[in-house]
Amino acid sequence: MSVLLEVLEELWSMFVGDRRLTLLTLAVVIAAAVVAALTTAPPIVAAGLLLAGALAVLADSVLAAARKVGRR
Amino acid sequence: MMVLDWATAAPAVGAAFVASTVEVVEAFTIVLAVATLRGWRPALTGAVAALAVLAVVVASLGPALNLVPLRGLQIVIGVLLLLFGLGWLRKAVLRAAGLMALHDETAIFERERTRIGTEASGARSADWLAGMAAFKAVLLEGLEVVFIVLAVGAGRGLMLPAAAGALAAFVVVMAVGLLIHKPLAKVPENTLKFGVGVMLSSFGVFWTSEGLGAPWPGGDWALLGLVAVFLVAALALVSVVRPRAVEARA
Repeated sequence: MSVLLEVLEELWSMFVGDRRLTLLTLAVVIAAAVVAALTTAPPIVAAGLLLAGALAVLADSVLAAARKVGRR
Repeated sequence: MMVLDWATAAPAVGAAFVASTVEVVEAFTIVLAVATLRGWRPALTGAVAALAVLAVVVASLGPALNLVPLRGLQIVIGVLLLLFGLGWLRKAVLRAAGLMALHDETAIFERERTRIGTEASGARSADWLAGMAAFKAVLLEGLEVVFIVLAVGAGRGLMLPAAAGALAAFVVVMAVGLLIHKPLAKVPENTLKFGVGVMLSSFGVFWTSEGLGAPWPGGDWALLGLVAVFLVAALALVSVVRPRAVEARA
């Protein structure tokens, strides 16, 4: 049973290791989905939004971790 | 007979090979730690049992994936890849900048030997405990390999080429590992992890865009552009945060 729990924990941490990164990534995907489905913008706009959002989430996450180290 | 377009298959095969190399090296380190402590019998029993569980997972998941509509599959896999890839790339950037300890197989090998040795010492079922350590390591790393193969292969019907990439990584790592009989510390894991983070994030953006009905111009070739963008952005982030590591050490 403990092995199963450990496996489930590991799988969870694979995708939700950093809660802020996860929530922001999902927000970016939802924003891109809204643009793709509900606006008349060309498809490249939604795709570009997804890419720019993913890069912004990565930068936010790395800078937050760096600030944490700096405060120690 | 289906002829695969190399431009389509190469990123899937390459990503599966490199990512699987990292995972197999990590699993091999634990199996070797078990083998040097308690012998190859519990180490291989645990590893083979885990491979059997993984085979059942793959055999169950494979047919189930065919029932999911392609666009739905691309969105689910794309989002999971984005979460997994960005998390991996974040760690890789922090390691490259010196803000996080580098992955060191020799240190992990020694730490695992001590941990397994302590757990097993005095226990009547020492071999069982050691075998379970090998089982867990192979199962956990193997599940990551299964996910990566599914993620890079399922969205375009490239499961077989991606699985071949993963299998090649397994064969190469096991052959080298069994030959030198040491943790594979010389594999440039931190560099590979950086590259894998870039590739998985790129695949994540690519599949999610396709699933949302917003495909990139240029089709599969756009993947190369996405890889370039993520690589440049990640390297730029390394240079931005590296001074923090220098300050923290001062």
